[in-house]
Amino acid sequence: MIGPRDPDRDIDDLLEDGGGEIGNLYRRLPRYEPPRRLDRAILGEAARAVHSGKPPRRQRWIVGVGSAAGLVLAAGIAWRIGNDAMHSPPVAPTESAPVMAPRVVPVEPITESARTRRDEPAPASSPMDSAAPAAPPPPSAVTGAVSKRAANEVDKARKSVELKAAPKPALAQEPPPPPPPEPQAARQAEAPAAFPADAKEEQAKDKAASAERETGAAADGLFRHRAQQPAAGGALPQSTPSSSVELRRDMQLAPEEWLAHIHQLIRQGRRQQAAESLRLFMRTHPDWEISDDLRELQR
Amino acid sequence: MGSEKTDEELMLAYAGGDLLAFEMLYRRHRGTLYRFLMRTLRHRADTDELFQDTWSRLIAARERYRPEAKFTTWLLQIAHNLIVDRFRRQRPQASEEETEAVFRKLDAPESDEPERALTEFEQRRRLQLALEDLPEEQRVAFLLRVESGLGLDEIATITGAGRETVKSRLRYALARIRARFAT
Repeated sequence: MIGPRDPDRDIDDLLEDGGGEIGNLYRRLPRYEPPRRLDRAILGEAARAVHSGKPPRRQRWIVGVGSAAGLVLAAGIAWRIGNDAMHSPPVAPTESAPVMAPRVVPVEPITESARTRRDEPAPASSPMDSAAPAAPPPPSAVTGAVSKRAANEVDKARKSVELKAAPKPALAQEPPPPPPPEPQAARQAEAPAAFPADAKEEQAKDKAASAERETGAAADGLFRHRAQQPAAGGALPQSTPSSSVELRRDMQLAPEEWLAHIHQLIRQGRRQQAAESLRLFMRTHPDWEISDDLRELQR
Repeated sequence: MGSEKTDEELMLAYAGGDLLAFEMLYRRHRGTLYRFLMRTLRHRADTDELFQDTWSRLIAARERYRPEAKFTTWLLQIAHNLIVDRFRRQRPQASEEETEAVFRKLDAPESDEPERALTEFEQRRRLQLALEDLPEEQRVAFLLRVESGLGLDEIATITGAGRETVKSRLRYALARIRARFAT
């Protein structure tokens, strides 16, 4: 029975190991326990404290360096593109430009000599110009300040843009219904239709060696013929090879425009190129009536 | 078991990253700490909150632990500081008059008190009520003694009071408890 006792004796009993009478009674009280959710929370917190300390500094350093490297790379690319564009001034339009511009795909070979390039009309009003990253450099610039490699890159970029955006000839202008071509001509005639459609394939072709390109369906025989043919007249520019790209461009023209273009080449003194283009024209449109002055070009 | 690690060794191991050491330490002291808080605060939600707070602070301060301090003393000191903060915000201390009234009643001759044979259940209930009625400082001192088994010096360390003060608080606490049984 717990009742009034001497306080000093009472505290001595309490400070003993057993805790005395009141200590024994206390131990019979309900023994509260923390709920399980607290156990989980505290053990989880202890585990997190051990396992997830502060993030190591090294990781943050790597992120910073990576970001800086990315910026430097981007700046380098931008500088390079800007430099190329600066060395590639746009070609001034000429009087003949309006005639050719709307449908001419502005692809120009970089192998042409300075003299022929200077006389060539520029397709300044072509809608492709706005999409092209830079105008083709003049030959003097190509041989001078701009390296040949840089010019190639610009040319490739232009080609890729033009490949994506160039309309099919059939959409640009309704050509007269072609007569049934001979098998080889039919194969060649398919080339312009497939050209803008299959951009990926053409990009791969552009990356191939120039020899491979020149053995393309359109220009294959023409180049071989040109090698055997002597230059017509002393006024002809010596060795001004037309690239298959230019010939393909011609194939995209309507027959009337194509012939007008050939005449223009003759007026510009580019007879060899005109002859190549005419040969291709005659293969593509074998039934088309050719004027006498153009027939002379074949001789 | 002779090879069983001491609390201090376990705490140092946990500070070094040994999670199992903490789990062992927690199992040893979770019940004692929880009951100490429960009987001191007399409120389940407050108890849960301070129980978790106590362990959280211990976890956060694990690297500052030095084995010179007894682990139990350190743990209960953290808990006691939290209790003091809680009481300071919540309620006033028991007045001197209240305490004196209890002692006046205790001084009355035994013959004046009714003889009662209290049942076991009634005894536990009265002790529980007596603990709830104790002033905070006396209750803490009493609980640190009977629940945690601490001596006068350790209680003095935890509560920041002198040894004799602790002894006095214990004496008053016992007197109040006996007074509850006398009514």
